[in-house]
Parts: sequence; structure tokens; C-alpha cells
Amino acid sequence: MSEPILVAENLTKWFPVKRLVSQVLRGERTWVRAVDGVSFSINKGEIFGLVGESGCGKTTTGKLIMKLLEITDGHLHLNGEDVTHVRGRALAKHRRSVQMIFQDPYSSMNPRFTIRDVLMEPLEIHKVGKDMKERNAWVSEILNEVKLSPPEEFLVRHPHMLSGGQRQRAATARTLMLNPSVIVADEPVSMIDLSTRAEILHMMRQLQRELGLTYIYITHDLSTARYFADRLAVMYLGKIIEMGPAGTVIDRCLHPYTQALIGAVCEPVSGKVNQIKDVPIKGEIPAATNIPPGCRFHPRCLYAVNECWENVEPKLVDIGGGHMVACRRHEEIERIGAAARTSEASLGLRRSTRIS
Amino acid sequence: MAMERVLEVKDLELHYFTRKGVVRAVDKITFDVRQGETLGVVGESGCGKTTMGTALLNMPTPPGRIVGGQILLDGLDTLKMSEQEIRRRVRWESISMVFQGAMNCLTPVYTIERQMKETLQQHREMSKEEAKTRMKNYLNLVGLPDDVLRRYPHELSGGMKQRVVIAMALFLEPRVVICDEPTTALDVVVQAQVINLLKDLKAQMNVSFIFITHDLSIEAEVSDRIMVMYAGQISELGTSEQIFGPQGPAHPYTQRLLAATPLLHQEVTELAFIPGTPPDLVDPPAGCRFHPRCHVVMDRCLRDEVPLREIEPDHMVACWRCFHE
Amino acid sequence: MKGARFDQLRTFWGEFRRVKFGLVGIGLLVVFALIVLLAPLLSPFTQADQRWRDMTYWLDSPREARPMWVNWFTSKKYATTETIAAASTIETVTGSMRILEMEFPYQYTAGRPPNDLVLKMGITGRTSYELLIQRPDGKQMSYRGSTVVDGAQVLRLSVVETLASRVYAVLAPSEDPKFAASKDPQQIDPMGAMFGKAQPGIFTTPENVKGTYTVKLKLALISPESKLDSAVINIMGGVSGLLGTDGAKRDLWSGVIAGTKWALLLGLLTSLISVVVGVVYGVASGYFGGWIDALMNRIYEVFTSIPLLPILIVMSAVFKPSIWIMILIMCVFFWTGPVKTVRSIALQIKENAYIEAARGLGASHGRILFRHMVPQLVPFAFASMALSVPGAIVFEATISLIGLGDATVVTWGQILRDAFGSGAVLKGVWWWVVPPGIAIAVMGMTFAFIGFAMDTILNPKLKTR
Repeated sequence: MSEPILVAENLTKWFPVKRLVSQVLRGERTWVRAVDGVSFSINKGEIFGLVGESGCGKTTTGKLIMKLLEITDGHLHLNGEDVTHVRGRALAKHRRSVQMIFQDPYSSMNPRFTIRDVLMEPLEIHKVGKDMKERNAWVSEILNEVKLSPPEEFLVRHPHMLSGGQRQRAATARTLMLNPSVIVADEPVSMIDLSTRAEILHMMRQLQRELGLTYIYITHDLSTARYFADRLAVMYLGKIIEMGPAGTVIDRCLHPYTQALIGAVCEPVSGKVNQIKDVPIKGEIPAATNIPPGCRFHPRCLYAVNECWENVEPKLVDIGGGHMVACRRHEEIERIGAAARTSEASLGLRRSTRIS
Repeated sequence: MAMERVLEVKDLELHYFTRKGVVRAVDKITFDVRQGETLGVVGESGCGKTTMGTALLNMPTPPGRIVGGQILLDGLDTLKMSEQEIRRRVRWESISMVFQGAMNCLTPVYTIERQMKETLQQHREMSKEEAKTRMKNYLNLVGLPDDVLRRYPHELSGGMKQRVVIAMALFLEPRVVICDEPTTALDVVVQAQVINLLKDLKAQMNVSFIFITHDLSIEAEVSDRIMVMYAGQISELGTSEQIFGPQGPAHPYTQRLLAATPLLHQEVTELAFIPGTPPDLVDPPAGCRFHPRCHVVMDRCLRDEVPLREIEPDHMVACWRCFHE
Repeated sequence: MKGARFDQLRTFWGEFRRVKFGLVGIGLLVVFALIVLLAPLLSPFTQADQRWRDMTYWLDSPREARPMWVNWFTSKKYATTETIAAASTIETVTGSMRILEMEFPYQYTAGRPPNDLVLKMGITGRTSYELLIQRPDGKQMSYRGSTVVDGAQVLRLSVVETLASRVYAVLAPSEDPKFAASKDPQQIDPMGAMFGKAQPGIFTTPENVKGTYTVKLKLALISPESKLDSAVINIMGGVSGLLGTDGAKRDLWSGVIAGTKWALLLGLLTSLISVVVGVVYGVASGYFGGWIDALMNRIYEVFTSIPLLPILIVMSAVFKPSIWIMILIMCVFFWTGPVKTVRSIALQIKENAYIEAARGLGASHGRILFRHMVPQLVPFAFASMALSVPGAIVFEATISLIGLGDATVVTWGQILRDAFGSGAVLKGVWWWVVPPGIAIAVMGMTFAFIGFAMDTILNPKLKTR
């Protein structure tokens, strides 16, 4: 086990909501609790997946790690140093070691810039590289690294002259320019065609192995998360409710919400057309301004009992093998699940026979 | 099973006349839609699937124009009808469409009732009470309570808005409903609920669906037959069993697409991908359009254009490898 | 990289070329630029710009003469403005005195008499002279005078100013005696009478007589050092120059030409400064957001709600009104123009992931503002600059019109002000009012056309397929 590179302790981000005059007078304050006490520790060279539905706070968490937003509460450690409230020079150093790949490759690069401008920007900002020659060499090298070759051909192009996949490669190249240790990838492939998605993920993983990078892979897509990430954390309403090795979290999930998410995933397997999907969840996701008391999932949970909303929120507990879950009834749920899993196992054996 | 054909499309051609040249977005495609089935249309972005959908309603987006072919609705060619006739008999009456992102196109300043009524009154003479009952019935059908009528779009969640849009596509009792990426903008759980709804509606109403999406896994959930499009043409058309069954699809493109889809419950170390990008439809490659990206390409693929041929009952493929000549 | 910029420029031009009125605007702008460059060639009075208010510079022009093309549209032609040199000079010496006799024949063919007839002499030393004008019918009127100054001087003997009573005296016998007696010699139209037929009614409704009017000058050079430097007859015609003259004898064509330079300078400089300030302000306001945005918005509102005119009036009273101060003051108020739009565009740009990406890379606010956001607004800035030029020009005209302009330069507004000040509209001196007015309008139109064209191209919503 290698040492943790990034540690979040009770990371919190509350956004104030605009108030009416009457509320100000009464001293009422409402908050959007986008990230509401998230703790995790990521090891060097690991791919950590952060999954959840839109509005669960996964992107906000990514921005907190990037220090693009001020942290309301909690602590963030990078390489053992507390970076929670760094400013000035220390912030610049943080910006060099943590980089981000954005979801939309169409808007993450200035349309007026050429790829060369885009890649030069980090070097210019941090005044890296002795002279133009060294910088140019660097840019070409990295373009080769992300398989945009020959580099000369891509350097002069504008982002809109590239395909989605190529753009995401260029965006990846930009994050690599400063030799970072952690890369936050926010839905890097969700806007890319299915046929090239795997290519990008493949390239990203290859880079990770070669350069010893650590990724935080933020996504709503459980299937790619399982394929790409080593460990997964499932978020619901600003909190991690289940975390553990990717395979364990998917195949042996214990939190009712994770189960619902997994039940909802579509898979390219025949014979499901006339079956109604079993999605074990009820109601709709509540607003982040009004988080239910007790276990925040209880209004939608099919297993909820009185204690789930009367008592304090369940803590994330380790149930062995690094698998952590925040549910009071996980033991009972596991017992129910064990019986069902035997029948589910039949889903597995297909891929090997399919490609001729 | 032999089912009645609701819609037959023959050699449909739709071109976009742009400054760069003629984009052959839909290039001579032939297929049919049967009574009560869901026909899935899949393909990468820019393969012409949405364009095909709008062509079926005979409302191509400019500078697009239908330049050839037939669309037979119960045997009648809608392309020969006048605009007025199409409006009276085809559009929304017989074929309706849930447009991509339609749920975001609800007018924010009107209540759901007003917006639904507008569509209804354009097509039907009916009293206020009748209209209201009908609207309520259809909202209930898509799983929404009556009071949604009084709400404004911003008071509804994404899933609820999508249900409203589906109700609006259904309430003139069309024969065919075209759904263009109806679940793309939705979260997984809501997406599953909408898929369940569509399955439920199909079972209840004997209506045919054309389900357009880029995601093969969703097609596996909803579609009886799958039509795979590539570069404006059909590359494979078969039943769900033929495409997703153990024997796997026949066309290399479909195979590759399927292999690129990660599976949730399986440890996959290496995912497949298709190198390159879809061709420019102003000047598509000669021979088979897929040949520059194909992993099993032959000499013939570079030379001869591939026809769509039936290789087993109900299974059509456009690939020289699959024809045993 | 340079190639790409050039390409962008070329595409822009390609699009611009398709907007017809934009081309008209560009064409007009080129014309204005040429006018500024070629002003010395175009203007008959090359020092019009520097000496617009120097009355001595304009003495040889007629007062309130019509544009010369007026003659094309009327059957009774106005006499043209011309200069007549001596046809013959005879010098005789009597004792210590030299006598010069010169003749200036004036072929009078017009339908209406000139405004004035002036003998202009450059004389050095003591002289005495006799001026005699002989009409075709033989009647002649003369005037005598002498100079006593030792140095050189220029003497102007005007029929209207110095010979009016002579004209009356000579021609009164022809007029109806009753009427002639009752008429004040100062109130007759001397030019009308001088070129009129000697018959009753000559002082009221003179009948035009064409023919050769000869002006004779007899000059006695009294002291040895006396000499005649030059002598010409200036016929101050009823028409003069391309656009006529104003009440101070200034050539309006020269004035309008000289004004072009100032209008361009004032318009472009004001709009350049104010748009640059406004764009940067708007972008910063949108980008920073929060309380900075709120504060900047309040400041903006203060500036927009201050009425400009009263401030300018006070300012002009406090400072010596110079064109530079005027530009400065206009900038102080004009910068608010693009702010709101720019701010809303900035809010949109800010939402793009690349702004956040740049922040993530550690880019400073300045870098994001000036490298990522402002360049996107350059096209808009150009359009809004073009659109604010007319405002500045009209504003300067307004200020000048109420008499608070910079008196040391010629602007179209100043010309208009002078016209109104001397009641040009009431007197029917339309050629004094219309040309500067049209110039202001055309200049405004030029930039408005260019601005609209750019707007059409850059604003995709206005673009039609």
C-alpha cells in the first residue's frame, strides 16, 4: 500500500442562498449544502472514482480539490501539507500539482486560441521553461504523449477544427504541461461518442501508468467508472454513502441508494425488452437546501425504518476490505442480497463470445 | 411474428444544401415500422439519425430537403401530400415526435395545462371539459398526478417534464411516436423510470415507437428491433436477440460499438474502440463507408458500395464479409 | 499564428463585403480620409484651419455670397467673384512727382450686380490717389484720397463703404426728383444703382446694364521712396466658391473641409477612449461579480444618471473650452455606453469552462481578463465604437452651438453656431447652415453604417441565412 497523496477530512462547501429582505431581518440564512462533510483518502497512483447523480456534489468536490472554490469547512491535505486555505505562492504551487480535465471539450478551450496557445498557457502562467525553444519542444513532446501526432499539424489548429476525442486529448495534454501529481477528471468522456470513449480512457490510463499520476474520476456513468477506477465513492446529496474497491462497490453494494443506481443502469444484453426494470427507490431527489434529517436518503429508501430518520446520520463504517458504507441496516441488506446475487451471476458471461 | 406494417420507408434521401456542398445526411434508407413494436435507431453523432426522424414528419430543418424516396403511412405516400394534408393527417395525428431536449422547450411562462391545450386544440374540436379530462387521462397514463396541469415547468423535475412531453406526443393517439434521445439529459435513476414508462405505454397502447439514441445499452432495454446507422446509411437492422444475443451482431461496426460499451457487472481490462472519426458526408469514402475504420476490411470494401441484404429472417446487414457468395 | 489572424481578418472582410450599406460606409470613410489628407489641395484658402477667426484673412471675399453653382439654376446670373489686374499702366514724371495711371476694365455680363467692387492697393510711402469708375453710359464717379504713412500698407477702397455717396450724387439726377430728394443717400443700394440704367427707379428697381465698366486709378507718388506694390480690382461677386461664404466673408467650403479633420479626430478619439474604458469596465464588472460587480454597477448608474449637458456647460465655464478638454469630458460620460452589454457578454463568457480551466491553471485575474475575455469583445468594441462616433460629433456640435466650443479650431458645430448667431436662417442664408449640417449627418451616417454592418456580422442573431 502506497502513501496517501490527497486526504479530505470532512470537506464541506455550503453556498449561501439569496435571501429576501424579511429573511435578512429575521436573521434567517439558508444554504445549499452542496458538499456536506466528505472524507476520503487517495493513494498515489490510484484512480479514485466519484460517482453520483447530477447535483450530488461530485463536481463541487472536484472544484474544492482544485481550490477553485473556497472550502467552507474541513481540511484538505496534499502530500501531507494542509492546503485548505492556501493563498498566493502556495496556491500557485497547488495549482501546478493539481490539474483538471473538464467535461465539455468544446468549451474548455478558448476558441480563439490555437492548440499551441492552449498548451503554452500553463507554461506562461507559471513561467516554466527557459526559452521558447524549450517550451516548444515540451509542447511537441506532450502532444505525442497524448497521441496527437504529428504535433506540427495540431499546433496551428483551433479547438473547433478538432473532433471531440482530439479535443479531449488536447485538454489532457494541457493538464500534463505542468507535470502534476493529481488530475481531477470531471466527466471527461461523457460528451464523446461511444466509439472513441474507450480510446480516451485507454490513453488516460496509459499516461497514469507511465507518469505515475493520480486521477480523481468524476462521473455519473457507473459502467465507465467501474472500468476505469480502482476505487469508487458514491455520493448522495453532498455526502459519500458508500466507498470501496470498484468491483466490490458495484457487485456487492450495500447501500440502498447504490443498489438503486446500479439497478437503473442499462446494459447491452438481449432479453430485457419486455421486462420492467427494477429500480428500488421512490420519490425524487430533494433540494440541497432542505436535506432530510437523520439519514439523508431515508425518504426514498425502501428499507427505511423509524430509527433511520429519528436518529443522527449514519457514519461511514468500514465493513472489511476497505468497503465502507453509511447505512444502519447494511447487515440485513447484505443478507437479503446474498440470496439474490446467485441469480444475478448469470449476467456475467457474454463478452468473450461476442466479438468474432 | 408477422405484424402489420404501419410505416414503410423506401429509399429515403435527405440532403443538406450547405455552402460547403451537399451533405447526404440520409442516403437511400429503406426500413419499416411494425404495429406495436419499438424500432431502435442507434449511431454516433452526425450519422443522420435525428435527421431521419424529422424526415418522417416531413419537416426537415433547412437547409435540408427530402430529395427522394417514399414514406408510406398505411400504404399512402406522405411525401406526395400537400402541406395542409400532412398537417391534418400525418403530423402529430399519425406520427408524433419527442424532440431531443424537448423538456427544456416548455415555455416557462405558461402552465402545463395551457401548453397541452394548445397542441390539442390545433388538432381537435372539443369542449373545455372534454379537453381537460383527456389531458388528465394522459398525464395519469404517464404517471403524473392531475395537479401537474396547474404547475409551471420550473416547478417540475426533469423526469416529470419529460413525462409531460411524452404525454403530449401521445394524446392525439398517433400510430408512431418518434423519441429522439428522450433519456439523455436525465439522471440514471430517472432514465430507468422513463424507460419503464415507455415499455409500459407500449404494452398498453399498441402504439409503435421509433427510439433514437446513441446508447446501445438503452436500445437493449427498449427496442424490439435495432437499426444501426452509419454515415447516413443503415449498416445493420435486426431483432434485439440478433444484435444483443449470444451470437452477437453481424456488422463489424455494430460489433465494435458493442465492444466499446463497458459492462457494469464484469471486470473488463481492455475496452475496444473504433479508431478514426465518422466520415464527412459531403464527400464520403468510396465503397463501404465504414471501410477506413473497419478492422476486418477487404479489397472489395474499398471498391464496391455495399447493399443492405437479408442474411437471415429479419436480419439485414450491409457488409461484404457477411454475404456468402 | 499570424496567418490565422490574417485568415480571420480575411473571412471578416469576406462577410463584410456582403453587407452593402457597410461598403457604403467604408466608401464614405475613405472619402473623408482623403478629404483630410488632401485638404491643402481641395481648399482654396489653405490657412482656413489656422486663421478661421482671423478676419483679415478673409477680407478679399464677398460677404454672404451664394455657392457658385447657384448660377446654374437661375436665369438672372449672379456676378461672379473675380480679380481684375490693370490692363494698362502709364507712368509720367512731373518734377519730383511720378504719376501712375492705370485702367481696369470690368466686363459686366451678369444679371445681378456683384456685392461690392473693391480696389486693393499695396502702397509704400506718401501718395495721393484718385479712383474713377466709368459706366458704359459715360457717367463716372470718383473718389480722392491720400496716404501719409511712411511704411507699406494695404488699402481697400470699397464702392459700398466709401463710394456710396458718390454713386448717389452722380445718379440722383436720373431718378425721379421727388423720390431722390426724399431718399437718404445711405440707404440706397449703391451696387444696384451703379450697375443700373440711369432712369427713374434706379434707386429702387434698377434695370441691369451690361457692358464694360472701367475703373481708373490715378496715383501720385509724392515722396521719392513712395511706390505702388500692387493694385487689383476685387469684384465681390454674388456667388463665390463651392459653398459660398458666410457673414464674416469666410469661404464655407474651406471651413467644411477644415472641420472634417476635427470631426474625425473628435469622434474617433472620444469613441476609442470611451469604448476601451467601457469594455474593460464591463468585462471586469461581469468577471469579478459579487460586491465588486454591485459597486461597479452603482458607479455606472451614477454616471448614466448625471445629465451631461449641464455638466459640460459648467465645465466650459470653469475651464477654457479646448477641444481636448471637451474630448476628455465626453469620454468621462460616454464610456458608460457599452458597459451593460459588455457586462452581459462577459457573464456569458465567464460561464465557459475555459475560464475556469485558466483559473485552475493558476492564471491571474489580469490574464483571464485581457487574454481570454477582452479579445472576444474586440469585434463588439469595434462595432460600438463605430456606433458611438456620431454621438460624439453631434455632441460637439451641440456644445459649439450653444457657444461653449473651442474657439481656436473650426468645427462644423462652430460654423453652425456662427450661422445661427448672425441669424442666417432668418436672412435666408441657407448655404451657411445646410453644408455643415449635411456634413455632420453624413459623417454620422458613415460610422453608423459601418457599425451596423459590423453588428450584423458579429451578432449571429441578426444574421439572415
